[in-house]
Amino acid sequence: ESRRMRSTAPRSTLRKIIKKHKPQLRLAANADLLACLFFLTFKQECPGVVHLNFLLFLHRLAEEARTNAFENKSKIIKPEHTISAAKVLTHFNIF
Amino acid sequence: PLRLLQSKTVPKRLRTSQRKPHEPQVPRSLIKEIFRHFVKMPVTRDAFKIVEKCSERYFKQLSDDLEAYTHHAGRKTVEAADLEVLMRRQGLVTDKMPLNVLIERYLPLEYRKLLIPIAVSGNKVIPCK
Repeated sequence: ESRRMRSTAPRSTLRKIIKKHKPQLRLAANADLLACLFFLTFKQECPGVVHLNFLLFLHRLAEEARTNAFENKSKIIKPEHTISAAKVLTHFNIF
Repeated sequence: PLRLLQSKTVPKRLRTSQRKPHEPQVPRSLIKEIFRHFVKMPVTRDAFKIVEKCSERYFKQLSDDLEAYTHHAGRKTVEAADLEVLMRRQGLVTDKMPLNVLIERYLPLEYRKLLIPIAVSGNKVIPCK
């Protein structure tokens, strides 16, 4: 976790994604910056709390997939591991 | 036998105008980079496709939530306040971890300047309230 992720969020991409889902919804200028923050934030202070930003979402997905692969004695992440990981996250309303 | 050496006729590529406009999405390379960083294991190509699909669903959920909060406030424009409520709901913003601290910690300076009021000379505050 110590390695820094790419520090710039795809700002206009985030706008476009939201536009795609909600064409009628407008995004204030400062709100789109916060959407970036939402995208970037990754907090390690309280591991017990589930944070739903994008990086944490991918983190959870990766950890679940890893666990599944280990349980199946697989040394490589296969689609089925990711699918059941996604199911677990959905079950806990992660997304 | 010489004919065998001739290359087959390759079907012409579709012209750019006929190509479907691609859906806006977070760059695949970025999703791949992040996921690979966390998973620390080899990942098959098809497994990455699932991760991409999940990411799409994630952003759909985000859009739904933002719409709900904005409507609730009787607005049509997503304001910073809506994202703050969302982050608070998710435990990202707390009393111990106010939004400004997150902004200072994670956003590059040029973005920070836009979000956090800075007192400048002449008794002006940017951005103005």
